[in-house]
Amino acid sequence: MAKSNRINKWLISGPPLLYLIIFFAIPSLIMAFAAFRYPGDYGGLLPLIGPNPDTGANELLVTAENWRDYLTFDNFGLFFSDPIYIELFLKSFWYAGITTLACLLLAYPLAWLIARSPKKYRDLMILLVILPFWSNFLIRVYAWMIILGPQGYFTMALNQVLGVVGLGPVQLMFSHFAVIIVLVYVHLPFMVLPLYANLEKHDMALLDAAQDLGASGWQRFWKVTWPLSLPGVWAGAALVFIPALGMFAVPDLVGGTDGIMIGNLIKQQFLDSRDWPFGSVLSIMLTLAVLLLAGLAAMVGRGGKRDAL
Amino acid sequence: MKKFLLALLLAAGTANAEDVLHLYNWNNYITPETVKNFEASCKCRVVQDYYGAMEEMLAKLSAGAKGYDVVVPTGFAVQPLVKQGLVQPLDKSKLPNIKNLNPSFMNSAFDKGNQYSVPYAFTTTLVGYNDKKIKELGIDPSSWAIIFDPAVLAKIKGKVTVLDDSREVFAAALMYNGFSANSTKPEELKKAQETILKAKPFWAAFNGQSYIKELTLGNIWVAHGYSNDMFQANTDAKAAKRPFGIAYSLQKEGNTLSLDNMMVLKSAPRPDLAAKFINFMLDGKNSAQLTNAIGSGNPNAASQAFVKPEVKAISAVFPSADNMKKLQQLNALEGKALRDLGRMWTQVKTAK
Repeated sequence: MAKSNRINKWLISGPPLLYLIIFFAIPSLIMAFAAFRYPGDYGGLLPLIGPNPDTGANELLVTAENWRDYLTFDNFGLFFSDPIYIELFLKSFWYAGITTLACLLLAYPLAWLIARSPKKYRDLMILLVILPFWSNFLIRVYAWMIILGPQGYFTMALNQVLGVVGLGPVQLMFSHFAVIIVLVYVHLPFMVLPLYANLEKHDMALLDAAQDLGASGWQRFWKVTWPLSLPGVWAGAALVFIPALGMFAVPDLVGGTDGIMIGNLIKQQFLDSRDWPFGSVLSIMLTLAVLLLAGLAAMVGRGGKRDAL
Repeated sequence: MKKFLLALLLAAGTANAEDVLHLYNWNNYITPETVKNFEASCKCRVVQDYYGAMEEMLAKLSAGAKGYDVVVPTGFAVQPLVKQGLVQPLDKSKLPNIKNLNPSFMNSAFDKGNQYSVPYAFTTTLVGYNDKKIKELGIDPSSWAIIFDPAVLAKIKGKVTVLDDSREVFAAALMYNGFSANSTKPEELKKAQETILKAKPFWAAFNGQSYIKELTLGNIWVAHGYSNDMFQANTDAKAAKRPFGIAYSLQKEGNTLSLDNMMVLKSAPRPDLAAKFINFMLDGKNSAQLTNAIGSGNPNAASQAFVKPEVKAISAVFPSADNMKKLQQLNALEGKALRDLGRMWTQVKTAK
C-alpha cells in the first residue's frame, strides 16, 4: 500500500519535475557555466570542442595547461569594474518596487470590493480584470504610446488644465513616468487575482466579532483583514515584482534616453554585442539578487510571525 | 479509375510540396505583386519568413536554423555568414541578369568579386524631419549638427529621436567629428561618445521601432533613421492630410549606406529555385517594384527606366555622384571591437 502510494506520488510529480529539470535547471546551469567562458566571434561561446589541427578529428581543446584560454573570471570582473552596472540594477529594483507598490495600492481596494460583491457578479468582474489579456501585450503598449504622446487627447487635456493653473506643458511619453505607468498597467491583473483569491476566503464572522469587541473600521482592517491577506499580498508582489524587474519591451517602447532597465542590458549583450558570457553574468546576478530579496522577505515574514506568537 | 485519380492527386501533391522557395527576408522588403509574378514564372510557391534586425537573423542561422533558400543580409552581415560556412558561392552562369547591376555597388569590401552575394536594394541612414517646423525654426538639416550640436538642439529639445543602434549612432557621431564611420580607434570613438553624451539630454528617446509613427503624428520633429522609413513617414503624413510633410536629405559630413544582398544558404533545399529567384529579382522591372513601393535605393541600372519620377527625384535614394562618394558602408566588427563598442554604448544608455 505504502509502496504504490510512493509510485503514485512520483507519477504525479514526475512530469512537471522532469519538465523543470530539462527546461529550467539544465539551462540555468549552462548559463552559469557560460559566465566563465569566452565569447565566440559570431555570437555564442568560444568552442571548447574543435577539430585538432593535426588529425582533423573533433576533440576537447581544453587541457590542464591551456584552460586559462578557455575559462575566465573576467566577465564577473567587468560587472564590478564599472559602477554603471550596479546602478542600473538599483534603478531596475527601484522601478519594479514602485510598480509593485502602485499595483498593490490600486489592486487591494478593487480585489476587496470584488470579494465582497454578490456572488453572481464576482465571476463577471474577475473576467473584466483579465479582459486586457485578450489583446496582445505589444498592442496594449502601443495604445499607451498614443495616449501618452503629445498629440494624444489625454496629454492635450492634461496640458490644458496645467496651462490654466499656470504650469508649463509636460511631456509624458518617453519618460520615467511613462515606463512606470505602463508597467503598472501591464502587471495590475497579476496583483488583483491572488489578492482576490485570498480576500474571498476571509470569514466575515471575524470582522463582526472585532466590531462587537469595539474595533474601529481602521482597526478591523489593520488587525484582521490585512494580516490575513498577507499571503495574497506576497504572492501578488512576487508575480508583479519579478516580471517587472526583467522587463525590456516597455522601457524600449516608452522609455526616454535614460529609461533602460537591466533587461535591456541583458538583451543587448545577447543580441547586439554578441557577448553571451557577460549577458550570462548579468542574468546570474539578477537571479541572485532576486533570491536574496526573497530570502530577506521570508526572514522578515518569519520574524513577524514569531512576534505575533 | 479511382486508383488512378488518387495517384494523380498524390503526384500533384508531391509536386506542389517540392516546388517551394523559402525566402528569409527583412519585413516588408518585397512587394506582394513581385512575389505573385515570381510564383507565376517559376510555377512554384514562395514561403517567406522575416527578421527585424541583422543580429536576429545571424543568431538564428548561426544556431543552425535550416530550411531557407535565400537570405537578404545587409553588407556587414555577409562576412559572418561566409566565415561560418553558412552560404554557398553563386553560380553566375545561372544569373545572366547580373549584368544589370550598377558597377559602383559591386565588388564591395565584404564580398570581393561578388562570389557569394549580389546587391538587392539599399537604404541610407540620415535625418528625417518635419519640414514645416524645421523651416520655421530656421534649422539647417543638411548637417549632423541637427542631432549633435547642443546649440541647435536647444530649439528642438525633446522632439528628437535617434536610432537604438550602437553602430549607426556612433557612425553618425564619428562622421560629424570628421572621422570614418568605421573607425575603431579608441580616441576617435571616445570623441564620438563625448559628442553623443553632450547631445543626449536633448533627445527624447533611442527609437528604432516607432519613429515613423511619431514623425507622422507630429510628436517628434527630427528623427535619425533609414531613408525608406522616412519615405513611409512622408507617404503616411500625406495620406493623413497632415499640414506638414516629412522631408529627408543626406548630411554633408556623410551618411552610412546599408546595402542588402541576396545570398544562397549552404543548407538550401532548393538552390535551383534560389538561383531563379535571384535572377528574377535582378531584372530591372521586378527590381523597380520594390523601389516604387517603399522608396528603397536601387543598385540595378536596368531598373531606372521603371522607377517613378517622384521616387527618382529623392536625392537620398538616388544620390548624386558627389554624394555617392560620401556614403560609407559599415564593416563587420569582429568580436572584441563589437564588445568594446557595446560597452561604450551601455555607458551612453545609462548616463544621466
